[in-house]
Amino acid sequence: MTLLQRFASIVRWIVHRNRAEADMDDELRTFVDMAAADNERDGHERSEARRLAMIDLGGVEQVKERIRVARHGGWLDEIGRDVRYAARNCATNPGLTTVIVLTLALGIGANTAIFSLFDALMLRLLPVRDPQQLVQVRIGEPGKTDVHFSYPIARALADRRDIFSTAAGFSVWSFNVGAPGSVVVVRGALVTGSFYETLGVNPVEGRLLTRGDDEIGAPLVAVIGHGYWVRQFAARPDIVGQTLTVGGVPVTVVGVSPRGFVGATVGEIADITMPAAAVPRIQPDAARLLERGNFWLRVLARPADGVSAPQATTRLNAMWRQVSDTLISPGWPAFLRKRMAESVFELSPGGTGWTILRNEYRRPLLVLMAVVSVVLLIACANVASMLLARASSRQREIALRLAIGAGRARIVRQLLIESTLVSLMGSAVGLAFAWLTSRFLVTLISSGPFDVVVDLSPNWHVLGFTLALGIATALAFGTVPALQTTVADPASTLRADSRMTTQPSRLLPLLVSGQVALSLVLLIGAGLFVRSLQNVQAVDPGFKSEGVLLVDLNARQNPLPLDFLDDLRQVPGVVSASMSTHTPFSGALWSEAAVPAGQPVPERDNALFVGASPDFFATMQIRLVAGREFTDRDAADRPGVVIVNRAYAQRYFPNQNPVGQHLSATVRGQRRDLEIVGLVESAHAAALRNAPRSTVYVAYSQLSGNLPTTVTFRVAGSLAQTSDAIRRLLQTKVPNAAIEIRPLSAQVNATVNQERMMAALASGFGLLAVVLACIGLYGLLAYGVARRVKEIGIRVALGAEQRRIMTMVVKRAARLVLVGIVVGLPAALAASRWIESMLFGLKPTDVMTIAGAIGMLIITAHVAVYIPAWRASRVDPLAALRHE
Amino acid sequence: MEKLDIPQGTLDLMILTILVREPMHGYGISQRLAVLSHDHFRVNPGSLFPSLYRLEQDGKLKAEWRGTENNRQAKYYRLTAAGKRQLEQHRERWNRVSFAITSVLEGA
Repeated sequence: MTLLQRFASIVRWIVHRNRAEADMDDELRTFVDMAAADNERDGHERSEARRLAMIDLGGVEQVKERIRVARHGGWLDEIGRDVRYAARNCATNPGLTTVIVLTLALGIGANTAIFSLFDALMLRLLPVRDPQQLVQVRIGEPGKTDVHFSYPIARALADRRDIFSTAAGFSVWSFNVGAPGSVVVVRGALVTGSFYETLGVNPVEGRLLTRGDDEIGAPLVAVIGHGYWVRQFAARPDIVGQTLTVGGVPVTVVGVSPRGFVGATVGEIADITMPAAAVPRIQPDAARLLERGNFWLRVLARPADGVSAPQATTRLNAMWRQVSDTLISPGWPAFLRKRMAESVFELSPGGTGWTILRNEYRRPLLVLMAVVSVVLLIACANVASMLLARASSRQREIALRLAIGAGRARIVRQLLIESTLVSLMGSAVGLAFAWLTSRFLVTLISSGPFDVVVDLSPNWHVLGFTLALGIATALAFGTVPALQTTVADPASTLRADSRMTTQPSRLLPLLVSGQVALSLVLLIGAGLFVRSLQNVQAVDPGFKSEGVLLVDLNARQNPLPLDFLDDLRQVPGVVSASMSTHTPFSGALWSEAAVPAGQPVPERDNALFVGASPDFFATMQIRLVAGREFTDRDAADRPGVVIVNRAYAQRYFPNQNPVGQHLSATVRGQRRDLEIVGLVESAHAAALRNAPRSTVYVAYSQLSGNLPTTVTFRVAGSLAQTSDAIRRLLQTKVPNAAIEIRPLSAQVNATVNQERMMAALASGFGLLAVVLACIGLYGLLAYGVARRVKEIGIRVALGAEQRRIMTMVVKRAARLVLVGIVVGLPAALAASRWIESMLFGLKPTDVMTIAGAIGMLIITAHVAVYIPAWRASRVDPLAALRHE
Repeated sequence: MEKLDIPQGTLDLMILTILVREPMHGYGISQRLAVLSHDHFRVNPGSLFPSLYRLEQDGKLKAEWRGTENNRQAKYYRLTAAGKRQLEQHRERWNRVSFAITSVLEGA
């Protein structure tokens, strides 16, 4: 019989089950009738004839059961009955079922939540045609390749049809959109012409960008995202042909990309997408991005038909040897040109798009996955002990079933189906928990001025993960209780007094100690992360970020005149105002080569550079150690002056006063002689975890060329009010700029996001673990007291004091917790080595943290112990002895 | 006389053999088996009916309700074409098995 026929017969059996059951009854009755008739003919009395026939048959129900089992698909039927039985069983004990489902929901929900974040950042494929085919192109030293390319290289890659059928470069971009005076920043992407062709995305309105759009001089066009179309244009159908003002120039909307497609950068939503070649016109100061020296585009490609990834890599490297000369910027220093020419290409899977968050959060998310799986283990142990405790009350029922002929395997399966049922209910509730908390998770990873937007709605990855987890969980907590319950000898169980059958499992204390051990591991981990966060936040950044507001202005060909700040200083609440090319923790850094005059200037950069106006140090409250601040007199036509920080001075002028000394430096490609006029305290510019870098502050007014400019205000009083006043004034002063004012403290805080996330989540899950473990401890003790009520009653009757009774319970608990700590401590030490690199300012063996975690565990355990101990001490001997 | 256990796997063969002559109901099959085996075999209904149902589900037998000679309704099993093929295969195999076993026993 073919598989199909067999399947069909199973389906028939299920569909016609009621008829088939009736058929079976009729047939067996006929059998008995016929046998009885024969027996009568043989001379038996009628009733006796019938009795013999029945004996011959051996029981109608038994035969029917054997028929059912023998049929194909019979197992389905049995499982159906097991599920119904399991559901009835859960319903008869709603309290316990609720507690189990909630416990599992917490464990499974935590796993689902972290996994959905992991999935969204790491695993989710882009909603494009055949995303698995996409490769991400990388270039650099072998094994240390980077994903960024210059515009000319990205275009050259797209032209090599023998390697890639299509290839495209893309990068996130902030567009200044709107009429003068009401300009806003809209997030989007700049792409090369073949972007949509490479991804294989179709428009919902109009058309998408093509190669022809990505040419200098082509009409300015943009594609808008579906969400932007709905939000900003109410999804009006005549959107195609409308114009947007971008960077002060009109840009025609040619189409709308489909719903669900938000660009190729994970975590960002591209509301506006424009060809890279439009940059010189929509933002002239960024025109150099199209030149050979700027590496800013990620490249996704599809290998040509029949070209494998290794073949493509080989051909890319061959191509690079031929054309690298023409594609490397002639303006670069020789060592960089050489390094670039010797670079190799690598391809990595590109179907999941690209995000910087992936590097940043891979390890934290893996650690969190480990944390939540430990939480789930604790939840499993909890549920297993509840089931074991209940098993004693079910032993009679199970013994009865064993006695009337059910196989042990059958009952074990029945119990496992019961476990699976509650576990799946737990999964469903957990999924809801995860979905409700996903917003909160995304805000935890948002860093920088722009929100991270990732889709955390459950997809089949997450659903499959949760389902698999639910089933694995059921096996984890259900197997041991199921085996333990069915091992009893039915005869003795049924004979015994109901009170005597409740022999508790020896596994129970083991499970509780195990939970204590695991929760200690998580508590210590949480403590380490919390202390790391405190340590990072306690680092003195060298400036005072509270009370400082920033606003980025468009870069321009020349520095803004210093009197630009005059009326801004008059805004109520503004204490001081200054301008600089860079601000701490903005993410952008500028580095150049600078050494004491007379020394050879190195080719490689060795110092951070910041262009700063007068009052910059006062505004940032960076302490001036010696010399002077910049003043209005440090103008473009005056001798060049710089202020160095202590880190620079210690490195290049050890034990000397640097003020008055001269530096030789390369500033924007020009060799300059600069006089040091001041020395300031070192301030952090990027990672708080590292020491501040050597920094040279140059006078803002003495710079030339393309300058990013940020205006910095120190504000007294309400940041919000002052911020509004500043915005109104700036909108009139620079009508073409999008005025987005943000506090410096937010910019600084965003850099400790990872530490904050780990501290928040690790302590949240650590607390959850301890609470679960204490519920387990409480359950075991309460159960023990309830079981021994009679014994306690006798003790009290014989004169035991309340204290003695309480001590008895507390001692037992102390033993359990102590075993947990003894096992958990080395486990925690082993595990914490894995997170050592994520810690800051303390060792994984930090005694304070470990002592704190143990202390916290013991305090929480007290609550769990006190209630049963108190109850034990209140046992009324009379009531207890009467108790059955 | 003590009854023999029906050797593993041969019940299907005997059921098919009995049914090749004429369609028959469950009780009839059990009686015929007793007669044909000279009362050495008695098949337990708890074994007979599961075999019948499985053979029917596999398409070797077809069942229908109809009246008996005693004016009773009974479920009659009839061999299908597939059942006949299976009977031939099984009989052929059984012949070889019994020949082989006999040869071994006589050779010893």
